[in-house]
Amino acid sequence: MTLVNDSTTVPAEPTAARPPTVGEQLAARFPNAILGASTFRGDTTLTVAPTGLTDVARALRDELGFDHLSNLSSTDWSRYRGYAGKERFSTIYHFTSTRTGERIGLKVFAPGGDSPAVPSLAALWAGANWPEREVYDLMGIKFDGHPDLRRILLPNNWPNHPLRKDIPRGGETVPFSMIWEDEEFQSFGKQIVEAKSVQPVPPKQADANKHMILNMGPQHPSTHGVLRVVAELDGETVVAAYPDIGYLHSGFEKQGETIRYKDFLPYTDRMDYVSAMSNNLGYSLAVEKLMGVEIPPRAQVIRVICAELQRLASHLVWLGTHIMDAAGVSHALLMYTFREREQLSDIFELISGARLTISYIRPGGVWKDVPPSFVERVQDVLKAFPARIDEYERMITENPVWLGRARGVGKLTAEQCLSLGVTGPLLRASGVPFDYRKARPYSGYENYDFKVPVMTEGDTYARYLVRLEEMRQSLRIIDQALKNLPDGPVWTADRKMALPPRQELDTSMEALIHHFKLMTEGFVPPMGEVYHSVENPRGELGFYLVSDGTAVPYRLHVRAPSFHNLQATDTMARGSLIADLVLVIGTIDIVLGDVDR
Amino acid sequence: MGLEERLPDEGVVTTTLEQAVNWGRKFSLFPLTFGLACCAIEQITSGVSRFDISRFGSEVFRASPRQADLMIVSGRVSNKMAPVIKRLYDQMLEPKWVIAMGICASAGGPFNNYAIIQGVDKIIPVDVYTPGCPPRPEALFYAITLLQQKIQKDKFRDRAYGRQLAAEAARGQA
Repeated sequence: MTLVNDSTTVPAEPTAARPPTVGEQLAARFPNAILGASTFRGDTTLTVAPTGLTDVARALRDELGFDHLSNLSSTDWSRYRGYAGKERFSTIYHFTSTRTGERIGLKVFAPGGDSPAVPSLAALWAGANWPEREVYDLMGIKFDGHPDLRRILLPNNWPNHPLRKDIPRGGETVPFSMIWEDEEFQSFGKQIVEAKSVQPVPPKQADANKHMILNMGPQHPSTHGVLRVVAELDGETVVAAYPDIGYLHSGFEKQGETIRYKDFLPYTDRMDYVSAMSNNLGYSLAVEKLMGVEIPPRAQVIRVICAELQRLASHLVWLGTHIMDAAGVSHALLMYTFREREQLSDIFELISGARLTISYIRPGGVWKDVPPSFVERVQDVLKAFPARIDEYERMITENPVWLGRARGVGKLTAEQCLSLGVTGPLLRASGVPFDYRKARPYSGYENYDFKVPVMTEGDTYARYLVRLEEMRQSLRIIDQALKNLPDGPVWTADRKMALPPRQELDTSMEALIHHFKLMTEGFVPPMGEVYHSVENPRGELGFYLVSDGTAVPYRLHVRAPSFHNLQATDTMARGSLIADLVLVIGTIDIVLGDVDR
Repeated sequence: MGLEERLPDEGVVTTTLEQAVNWGRKFSLFPLTFGLACCAIEQITSGVSRFDISRFGSEVFRASPRQADLMIVSGRVSNKMAPVIKRLYDQMLEPKWVIAMGICASAGGPFNNYAIIQGVDKIIPVDVYTPGCPPRPEALFYAITLLQQKIQKDKFRDRAYGRQLAAEAARGQA
């Protein structure tokens, strides 16, 4: 059991046999700033003094090559066992090296009691801007030196910071005992919520006297949901674009902190609903890492097949809607891509019973073994899809309208991508060959032969080509996985998570008790914290879990790829035409459920 | 094809204006292009060739609320979104109808927390509730056919303009 902010464990002196770890190098360089280090399940977390955070982060980026700020989150420790009297809030930063895939976490205990403050990293990473605003909004931690610290997900007049432990989850109690005859029943469900229209306020940076301020969304056909973008225009040229998000904020993290680990899985489907399977996988892997269990090989291969099928399905949605945004003439390509997507939805329905919100990959394995016809159905996909993708290419790739709309639009350089925390196809289209399936392989991705498509142009057209090639590579992975699908169980044998087999229940009292405990209480991970990320169709999807040794997560944070990628809107849209703003939003491939959570 | 074979020689059918208008309305619903969350994906799917919402006469999705008469609330309604939905509903012209698609729009669904309004019927009136998480396209079509049945029974006097006329008539008498 490792206590996470155990300051007494000072890093050991480096021995001559091995090179010093990153933690040791930093501890030697900043003896006053590094207060301690802990390692749990392979995750190294350094505790850093607030005053030294900026220096340590700069050294990590410029000298040690940790150029990607993966995750920025926070925790309220006031209800955690053994934290009485210590600092209440902490922020955590996870840095990843895009060259080596190494990761390190920095944790800062924020001084200031109930109104804490830590230094902002927005000057070092432009991409820290929104996550810090999110932490401020939901947790109430102030960031000194932040350029624009205001609420991001919740309305401006929200009374509290909901992720604090003393704020209840909210919602309504469900009166299960109410019957028709009750007088209360007449009024039940008829409470009218006041929904006053809020006068939109133009962003304070915008120059309303010189430029035109144009509001786009939250109800707009090409914002892919409920995104609102306030565009500052000079004629038809975009001077600046300010995305306003939070219109689909659903309180996933607070919800997750009140239910058991296994009960949160269905919620992950509803987060990035276009790629539910990838979300299931990311969450399951994070929980399994926290539990320290091994997954049998058959389940691993099934997971890979499912995740890649989901990548295909997700890219098909992107392609159909994106081309519809760009051309706007007809639904033609959407009809084609959804035809193919239906084939995949049918496979998901075959294995799980649901088309969209799947909950098939679960902590501990997969729900059930795939039915016998699964292999055949996936082989049909493998047979049909290459020709279909070629068909799209024939229709679009050389199409002069598409070339004219997409080339040179929404440019991002590699430096801008890394600074903004952009991941996924956007990063790879800007020349950074970074893919978590290669950099930090999970679920056995190291056993597959596939390429990570990379382009250097960094525009909408390059991202289009990258995604199309990714679809071909996904087919390759599925092909290899199908050929090597091993036999065996699909659920972990580790009794920490696995139910005892039915036969044992008849003979063993212990097994019966164990079964009862697992079903009623749920599995219980040890105290500790993990961060695990996977390559979602949109980029890095990470889950940060803090366990206090109960069956309910103490802290659950989701590093959503769309949220971080959407920050690039302003950079991409500046200087382009207002019509290109639609393309910029489309090429980021956002899912608002993922952005707002 | 049914109707014309049964027509009398004169080629005249008598019905009430209400019946004829409602018959026309129910087969030309213009839904608002408006998606909130997961259910929006199934809403898009219901428009593509496999399911084909145009079989029910409501494939003409309109991006402007002023041209739409059916709002399909497809997903969870957050506190921040509620005023926007209210305003969109107010901008739609009478007669207008609302389908709450999925359990979130109907009653909050699994999101019983601070951020989500427990059912869109707390801000706008709902005609048909569709269970499911998300409902399949077939379920949405069933909701549309139920709504069509409801529209067929619609009384002019119950609508906003009907109430207005009644009020004016009452004033005239007084």
